[in-house]
Amino acid sequence: MKFIRYQTTPAYHPGRSFTTLRDEIDRLFEAAVPVFHPGAQPGRFPLDLFEDKDAFLVKAELPGFRREEIELEVADGALTITGYHRNEAAPAKEGEKAEEPAREVRVRRAVSLPEQVNIEKIAAQYENGVLTVTLPKREEVKPRQVAIEVK
Amino acid sequence: MSQTITKQPESGAAACQRRTIVPRHEVRETPEAYHLTVYVPGADRSSVEINVDGETLNITARQGWTAPEGWTAVYRESSGADYRLVLAVDRGLNRDAIRAELVQGVLTVTVPKSEAAKPRRIEIQG
Repeated sequence: MKFIRYQTTPAYHPGRSFTTLRDEIDRLFEAAVPVFHPGAQPGRFPLDLFEDKDAFLVKAELPGFRREEIELEVADGALTITGYHRNEAAPAKEGEKAEEPAREVRVRRAVSLPEQVNIEKIAAQYENGVLTVTLPKREEVKPRQVAIEVK
Repeated sequence: MSQTITKQPESGAAACQRRTIVPRHEVRETPEAYHLTVYVPGADRSSVEINVDGETLNITARQGWTAPEGWTAVYRESSGADYRLVLAVDRGLNRDAIRAELVQGVLTVTVPKSEAAKPRRIEIQG
């Protein structure tokens, strides 16, 4: 007996696959009061997805990290961006409070990609606090033409 | 102790010229100075301007990132706008000694307090 697996493509919405109802409500509030830093809330950084015929481009606003603190991962049709940063507390001077408290920031978001990408050719740049990831699409396998003789 | 840096509303006319948003920012006070952290991803050093004029501290930064030509935007969350932050300042600041640093989209501005505004311990005589 042959086992055939059918895979349906869910309605494509890159940001929504990984958001919860709480995120949706937050997003409604952001839209209602735009002066309060749309999209730039702690723990959730703005993501954009662009496309041309050969590749995808993901832009993430991630100010304040060092290059080695940002990790990219592509798996299961999604790109996951993780940033982790820790500032140790600056030592206190005599009698005064600490100059700067220890700070830890950890952010992680995923974007689902509508098509397969060529993992080896992914390129990323981080400049002025903006991460730009270019993901070339996997070239389509050309259909093989087979001549079938009909008897 | 109340903060001496507070927000001022923008004037309508100036705000319409080029689309701007108020960047996420934090103000921290120490006995010596105010430390302002402004998040301006996409701005580079040449596009940031800091002006103290009269009673306001104006910080503007141009957005340097633009989408490459010919690409379709499938999904957008960022605004792509320039940044503009206006804060009201009082006279307890040493305006000439303002220092600023921009690293990976994070602008750190240090505004020292004038000597008169720093907390002082008063010795009790007799």
